[in-house]
Amino acid sequence: MKNDVKAFWTLMLIIATLWIGGCEAPSFIKAAQFEETDRIVLTFAGPVDPAWAEDRDHFTVNEKPDPDILLDIASVRLSPDQSRLTLTLADPINQNQPHQVVVKEIVSEGRNMGTQAVTVSKPYFGYLISILIGALLIQNFVFSKYLGLCVFFGTSQKKSTAVGMGITFTFVIVFASLMSWFLYQFVLKPYRLDYLQIIVFIGLVSLTVQAVDTVLRKINPALFKAFGVYLVLVIANCIVIAVPLILADNEYNMIESLMLALGAGLGFLLALFLMSSVRERLDFANVPTSYRGLPIAFIVAGLFALSFMGFSGMSIF
Amino acid sequence: MAATTKTNMQLVVNGLLNENPIFRLALSMCPAVGISTTVANGLLLGVAVLFVQVFSSCTIALIKDHIHQRIRIPTYTLTIATWVTVIDLVLAAYLPVAYKAMGIFVRLIVAFAIITMRLEVFACRNTVTASFWDGIGMGFGFMFGMVTLGAVREVLGMGTLLGYDVLGFRPMLFFVLPAAGFFLVGFMMAMFNYVETLYNRRAKRGS
Amino acid sequence: MKEIIRITIALTLSCLLAGLVIGTTFIFTAKAKQHNEHLNVQQTMLGLLGFGPQRPAAPELQLHQVHRYIVKENETMRMGYMLPARCSGGGPGYVWVELDLKGEFLDRHDLVLTPEAALSADDRKKALAGILDPGAEADFADTMIIACLGDRRTAYLLPGEFPGFKTFIKAMVALDADFQLLGLEVIEHEEDPGLGGEITQEYFKNQFVGKSFEKIKRLTVIKEPLPADYERYLKSMGLGNSGLSESEAADIRQRYKDQDIHALTGATISSAAVTNGVKAMVKKFAYRIQVLDQALADGDVKVLF
Repeated sequence: MKNDVKAFWTLMLIIATLWIGGCEAPSFIKAAQFEETDRIVLTFAGPVDPAWAEDRDHFTVNEKPDPDILLDIASVRLSPDQSRLTLTLADPINQNQPHQVVVKEIVSEGRNMGTQAVTVSKPYFGYLISILIGALLIQNFVFSKYLGLCVFFGTSQKKSTAVGMGITFTFVIVFASLMSWFLYQFVLKPYRLDYLQIIVFIGLVSLTVQAVDTVLRKINPALFKAFGVYLVLVIANCIVIAVPLILADNEYNMIESLMLALGAGLGFLLALFLMSSVRERLDFANVPTSYRGLPIAFIVAGLFALSFMGFSGMSIF
Repeated sequence: MAATTKTNMQLVVNGLLNENPIFRLALSMCPAVGISTTVANGLLLGVAVLFVQVFSSCTIALIKDHIHQRIRIPTYTLTIATWVTVIDLVLAAYLPVAYKAMGIFVRLIVAFAIITMRLEVFACRNTVTASFWDGIGMGFGFMFGMVTLGAVREVLGMGTLLGYDVLGFRPMLFFVLPAAGFFLVGFMMAMFNYVETLYNRRAKRGS
Repeated sequence: MKEIIRITIALTLSCLLAGLVIGTTFIFTAKAKQHNEHLNVQQTMLGLLGFGPQRPAAPELQLHQVHRYIVKENETMRMGYMLPARCSGGGPGYVWVELDLKGEFLDRHDLVLTPEAALSADDRKKALAGILDPGAEADFADTMIIACLGDRRTAYLLPGEFPGFKTFIKAMVALDADFQLLGLEVIEHEEDPGLGGEITQEYFKNQFVGKSFEKIKRLTVIKEPLPADYERYLKSMGLGNSGLSESEAADIRQRYKDQDIHALTGATISSAAVTNGVKAMVKKFAYRIQVLDQALADGDVKVLF
């Protein structure tokens, strides 16, 4: 029980760190965020001078990669309590891009607070969640990317098998992806060995599976009995090799990689669970002889894939 | 299974029909669903798989006497990964446009069950020549499956074949959508099953 | 024990062998890959300018590459441009020009860099290391290509990348000297086949052709279906045999010149992504090239374009 509480607080701490790490905390400008499609709202630590705020030349906004192109500011509005300032831009903001706002010579209660710069971007935590949900639902590896199908059809006959396979797979893929991410970022890329990625990643995956097998057998024989049989099947699943390759192609950082791997694993679990629920019922259905077994399973998977297309284009944050 | 007694021709036909990797063995389904949208894609991935299968089979058949039993599977994986890397580099260098269209799938050949399975059940027990023809059969069987799927999807979905307009209109755009790959593979498998039952029934009546 | 040694030796040997095969292939293909990629880009560029197998480009057509960098030095930033120029010996070389963020000319240096070496990012970096201050750091931003016939600028080519519906879309846009759009080519994308993947179709890409700079600044997508005559015209563009007479084609071109982009059926987001991407690319470029020309005139820098 005590351990649970500890784990909970640790998790909270990690989330809080991520949250704070995501947005910079400048001294006088307390917060800066996007609002609607064309506004940036700055919150100051104290009231600022309305006369100062009226002059549009005190503010410049640019997309971070393009410091030489300043965006047109259409209007500047100060809130009645003088601590919130809304910059409305002439064109809609590309919110996927971090923006740099420079505020010159801030005047607050007669004192000059100097020039300050602040970066406005979408909350990082939201971005992480969007990677997770993306891999889980929108770009589900089974129904939208069509990977891991052999194992998917092989282990989705019964709910218990499906859940066991899904859980084992999620564990292995998270470990294997993180390891391959380290190896890729700190060995393969610096030494220009990226052409070896296929051979290295597949070796790493086999190694992880072997390691989990050995460790589990020793530490928790009961758990091994329940999940050991699925370990071998994990290597035959192409998702487990696809995720490290995708990570290498997309240059994600470690936390983002973790999220993608977790999403991929949970997405596979979800797909297996949904599919096995249907297939358990199919056993009682009167299916034409030629369609029994795999053919009807493929058609069911097709229906799932069609419905998963409904998730596409969904943006959460 | 002891060393095969089939002739080379029989080995090829076996891979094409009786043990067709996609429709009969139901292995390597991911590319069959994922990128069989056009004939060209299917053909190119088929060539890549053919290459990897033939070379891996031959390599394993060649060194089968020196493989230690306990590291059999790692050796297979290593062999396959090597040949996949080779074809990946070659395709990326000489056919960059088509390579990009196939995305990650070329590199994923390394995880295709069909190749490991042929090494395990065939190449490690047979001569280099027999393994070569078995690899050819399996590779062409895969290619045949991919091209068939690709042709149906391209004609029905886009109204074109190999990029040339054959129908002049698009009968069912649905078939080009990724989800349709599942349906089509399901239909094709059912068709193969149906033909098999018919064939068996006739054979029984004949005897 | 003996067995373990045997296994280890066998595994090491196989790994070495595998490494040998892969290494050899890599060495053989690396050059070809670079060459073919370069060739592909070259073909795309010429294709956008309207040249092809039937219409070879004029031999005096020059494609000058301009590389843009962002220079950072103690918190301040400057823009750095690597421009093709005649070097002191008379042959083609490169010159490095720095502007401040407002576009004022700051500084110039001659670079030791041949046009062939300038194609490789590593060689460019090496050349830059020789002239930059020790504390300064130059980050590569993008490349633009300026096509010249003799002394006259005929077109600008802008390679670029923007977010699509699924992942990134790589594209190249061609503009004439007045920033009117000459052509759009989608180089790489991962949109859904049959839906967003249709952005590579002629009837979509050709909608952009002929849009004036004023129009591009306000370009949006509309969800109306493509009119039949316009679609036929778009599909036949550049093919010669359209079945449309010259006057009919001219009439259609005139009628739809100021039309917004018709979104693809079932792929409005992909269509909008391309439209916005092209819009942003063209707007930024037009601003930068004007600033650069002014600065080059101020600093009295002679360049090849």
